[in-house]
Amino acid sequence: MSEDNDFRRGMGFAFRVGTELVVSVFVGTTMGYALDWFFGTKPWFMVAGLILGGAAGSLMVYKVAMHLPSGEDEDGER
Amino acid sequence: MESPLHHFELHPLVEINFLGLDLSINKAILAMWAGMAIVFFLFKAAGRKEGSLIPGKLQSVLEVSLEFIRGMVEEFIGKEEGKKYFSFIATVFFFILASNLIGLVPGSYTITSQLVVTGAFAICIFIMTLVIGFTRHGGHFFSILVPPGVPKIMVPLMVPIEIISMIARPISLSVRLFANMTAGHTVLAVLFGLAMSASLALGWMPFAFTIVINGLEIAIAFIQAYIFTTLTCVYIGDVINLH
Repeated sequence: MSEDNDFRRGMGFAFRVGTELVVSVFVGTTMGYALDWFFGTKPWFMVAGLILGGAAGSLMVYKVAMHLPSGEDEDGER
Repeated sequence: MESPLHHFELHPLVEINFLGLDLSINKAILAMWAGMAIVFFLFKAAGRKEGSLIPGKLQSVLEVSLEFIRGMVEEFIGKEEGKKYFSFIATVFFFILASNLIGLVPGSYTITSQLVVTGAFAICIFIMTLVIGFTRHGGHFFSILVPPGVPKIMVPLMVPIEIISMIARPISLSVRLFANMTAGHTVLAVLFGLAMSASLALGWMPFAFTIVINGLEIAIAFIQAYIFTTLTCVYIGDVINLH
């Protein structure tokens, strides 16, 4: 049961992290683009949004990874 | 040769125009109805019969899966709070699972391969989390935008990052399900197209692969339904237990 559980968690993690990283960058850039269009300040908000989106994606992946049980304790035993 | 994306196209079967809205019935709507009917009648059939104490096979299977969902809800939302949302989460899980599996029957339609459908699910869940957050915490809910332990100087930087990751949630939720289903069915269509266009001496190879990939797709159907519901739990849990 425990091994099955680990497998499911692992699959969940794998599918989750990939899309989240990409989508965060996309959302940040789009929001920046929208702000640029609104204020007429091309391309500065978009650049900032791209960087912040990347940061948001990395932060999200970091948070998820911190909650992931490693499956081993400190002496490397299961 | 047909385009491998051809089978995602929808054509109205029964044209219905109501007050200028296009409410035509097409394959996707039929598949959605079938999914709802399967989930409803499965649980109806599995319900405990009057006077019998020993659960049947179907009932045992469904009870185990409900227990599994309850474990997930308790883990991410909390034991007491989770009870309120358990039925919603279980419904989402079984409906998505049924729609994913129906799509694997040749000739039917995968409704989760339409971004509109998964997007509607995700937006409903997103709005639901916002409503839960504001009703439970009021104005204090905005503190979700500032993670605990952040130095004051970092706050102007953290708020936009948290806003972006908030908005990215429903999008990644819907895109993940949609992309996985679409990709799987496109691969199947491409391999089947190869099998059809090659001679019999070579054509059996891609055909064998379609069978293998179909098995993989069944696993993906379960995993995607699981991930969708887990993340729904995580998002609801996040707004209930603020930090």
